[in-house]
Amino acid sequence: MSFVDRVDPELLPALELFPAELMTAIGDDPPAARAMLEPLLEAMVEMLPPSDVTIEERAIPGPDGDIPIAIYQPKAPAPRPGLFMIHGGGYVVGTAREDINGIGYAEHVGCTVVSVDYRMAPEFTYKASIADCFAGLNWMFENAAELGVDSERIAIGGGSAGGGLTAGLALYNRDNKGPELAFQLLVYPMLDDRHETASGYEVTHPNVWNRDVSLKAWKMYLGDEYGTDEVSPYAAAARATDLSGLPPAYVTVGTEDLFRDEDIAYAQRLMAAGIPTELLVVPGMFHGGEGFAPTAAVSQRMRLGYLNALKRAIG
Amino acid sequence: MSYSEQIDPEILFALDTYPAERYIAIGEDPPLAREMTEEINREMRANLPPTDVAIEELSIPGPDCDIPIVVYQPPGPAPRGGLLWMHGGGYIVGVARDDARCIEFAEVVGCAVVSVDYRLAPESTYKESIADCFAALNWMADNAGDLGIDKARMAIGGGSAGGGLTAGLAHYNRDNKGPALAYQMMIYPMIDDTHDTPSGHADTCPTIWNRDVSFKAWKMYLGAEYGTENVSPYAAATRATDLTGLPPALVTVGAMDLFRDENIDYAQRLMAAGVATDLQVYAGMFHGAEMSAPEAAASKQMRQGYLTSLKRAIG
Repeated sequence: MSFVDRVDPELLPALELFPAELMTAIGDDPPAARAMLEPLLEAMVEMLPPSDVTIEERAIPGPDGDIPIAIYQPKAPAPRPGLFMIHGGGYVVGTAREDINGIGYAEHVGCTVVSVDYRMAPEFTYKASIADCFAGLNWMFENAAELGVDSERIAIGGGSAGGGLTAGLALYNRDNKGPELAFQLLVYPMLDDRHETASGYEVTHPNVWNRDVSLKAWKMYLGDEYGTDEVSPYAAAARATDLSGLPPAYVTVGTEDLFRDEDIAYAQRLMAAGIPTELLVVPGMFHGGEGFAPTAAVSQRMRLGYLNALKRAIG
Repeated sequence: MSYSEQIDPEILFALDTYPAERYIAIGEDPPLAREMTEEINREMRANLPPTDVAIEELSIPGPDCDIPIVVYQPPGPAPRGGLLWMHGGGYIVGVARDDARCIEFAEVVGCAVVSVDYRLAPESTYKESIADCFAALNWMADNAGDLGIDKARMAIGGGSAGGGLTAGLAHYNRDNKGPALAYQMMIYPMIDDTHDTPSGHADTCPTIWNRDVSFKAWKMYLGAEYGTENVSPYAAATRATDLTGLPPALVTVGAMDLFRDENIDYAQRLMAAGVATDLQVYAGMFHGAEMSAPEAAASKQMRQGYLTSLKRAIG
């Protein structure tokens, strides 16, 4: 059965929304991909319904210069829970203004969302990305009162590369004795640079995140470590050998996602390490499909799954 | 971290719903275990709230002798979906009068439920159990008109050993060209006689389904095949090598269940075989907790997870 036969029929029109040329450019020419992506993201933002969530762009001090951030504030009264959100884009594209998710979390959970413009590959490697995320996370805790956030209810989360950075940041934060995290939300996280699983070989469709582009993105993100046995667990959390002491987790992924089996395996390892972990695998869903076809029943199911999980954890 | 420290605090009280003596008896004195189980279940049935679901006990022709069944019919117009339900009990104990579950399926999904008193081990082996379930399935399809069931909306399902029989029956039905099935619902299914996984080796508790009793039950159920390479996939579905052509599936299990990893692995194999598969794993839940502590939030979440999944499939 082909990939297209396995995708939920309601999602099929959305397969065309992300052109194959753009997907290819992400792996071959990230600056060009970023330029191609801009109008697409703007169009997606314009499709969003009006919202009471206010959005503020700021810059905070980082380890090597200022880090731009976006702050999403809901109407809910302070103190609110908080989400430190990390955007997706294969570690090479994307921006902190991932409004569909920033607004979605703020509205559904009533939390303040801080989204960070971490440095990306190929200009930088994972070391800069993780350092920026760690700096942003610490800034959020230090400024919790000003943000109206209850620092005992702060989660980290993100989708795709943002999910991978969430997993890496949870490990980095544990090892560097950073602030206490209430939760980690891993939405189809990009965790494993090898993709040596069944699903890692299944998804080759040119319009979705596929094996070819993924391996190219990993190569840029890992730099010299790519292809070696020395890949840092902060870059590819699947490489971590000790998963104890991490925050409670939610892992969700579609069955037609390249990352399906590596994400399931990571959830199993979290469970085996005694981390309270919930796992939801949604049939017929491809990578990011719930964002491209937000009205499809299967998309709403996946989205409500992770929105409700975050709400139960910190709401 | 001890086993009970990893259990959802709200369901902790239900850890001793069934006494440790019952589990010992399942492995060593099945007739006594059946009495103990039925005594507890009779009391649970007596405490159920009144229902509009009509319950009828019948006897249908089986391959070697008559098979007692129970038909649960919700009010409301026919045709409706139909569920063939297989009760749990480690293949050793349990009865078709699985009222709490079957009434909930009939009420929430609006389907007719046919629950079958298949023959149990050690008096019989899996061959008789599967033969009885297959006979009941055919009877349900042959009598769909009288039962008010839409033959295009027939599902099979079960919990624990009943989930294992569901998985085995799906294979048997495919291989023997039985009636078309719209869905298979596997609630923490007992599908692997080896338990050679992290959760299969993890610490458990004597008052829930554990490694020791599970092996004893498998030994009785498999008869001469136990411990060999020749265990039938109809008995232990994880032994199957070809998972193609099976009905769309739901697999759900708690993170604190002996069966966790074998269930997740089986779901992954279904996905890889192109079977539309919904996988839901819940933190802090032990085997059967959603029925032993039905009012806990996590229990309601798990039940809602499979009830809405069944409703999407045949509702």
